Amino acid sequence: MNPDDAKLGALLRASRAAPALPPRFQENVWRRIEDAEAPVPSTSRLFWLDALVALVLRPRFALAAVTVLIVAGALLGVRDGSQIARRDAQTQYLAAVAPAALR
Amino acid sequence: MNRSLVIVLGTLALGMVMFGGSYAVSRHVGERCLTQPGNDLAWLRQEFHLNDAEMARIQKLHENYLPQCAAMCQKIAAKKMEVEAALNGATNVTPVATQKLAELAALRAQCQAQMLRHFTEVSQTMPPEQGRRYLAEMQRITLGLHEQTEQSMSISAGDMHGHN
Repeated sequence: MNPDDAKLGALLRASRAAPALPPRFQENVWRRIEDAEAPVPSTSRLFWLDALVALVLRPRFALAAVTVLIVAGALLGVRDGSQIARRDAQTQYLAAVAPAALR
Repeated sequence: MNRSLVIVLGTLALGMVMFGGSYAVSRHVGERCLTQPGNDLAWLRQEFHLNDAEMARIQKLHENYLPQCAAMCQKIAAKKMEVEAALNGATNVTPVATQKLAELAALRAQCQAQMLRHFTEVSQTMPPEQGRRYLAEMQRITLGLHEQTEQSMSISAGDMHGHN
């Protein structure tokens, strides 16, 4: 076959059936290309966990969290301990001055 | 399981352990530091912010009051046994039992009056505002629970008083 044969080439192109493109084909192609090139939005559960882990494993954050937890626990413990001691002291005084039979 | 999830859960558990440990230790230490076993009057000093002179006067009143209180408790215990004896085996409330019940009630009233007089005396050794607060608190505690009075009176006579 002679590739320069224009007549033969035209005949071959005319014999190939070209299917009709769906509506808005070109627009959809461009949209898909744009979507593929855009950065993937990171809203998945895994992303949140990874971000949280990254935050937690930061030494400064970890140190601050440990400090806050220990100080909060200590303050709450001292407060409750003093309330218990106060209640025990009151019970001891009442047991001495007010017989249980009269309370 | 996802590695991040394991780290987050482990961190939460570690945080809870640290908070709980800190809480438990400091509560125990706070309780032990502020408790004064054997000192009946420690509560008064703490609660009503009394100075040494006021505490000395209250200590004296307290020591004078305790024997009177113990004696009254013994009388009530003895009368309670008389009431039980009068009621024992009886199918009716006899006049004797009624008489004993009246005497027991009179003794209880006498004991309460003595106790309230002591509270009044103690309150008068305190600064006025603290004294009023003390008296109100003691009246609320000792007079506001009559149902417990009746229950506790049925406890064995030897264990009627909180004295050591």
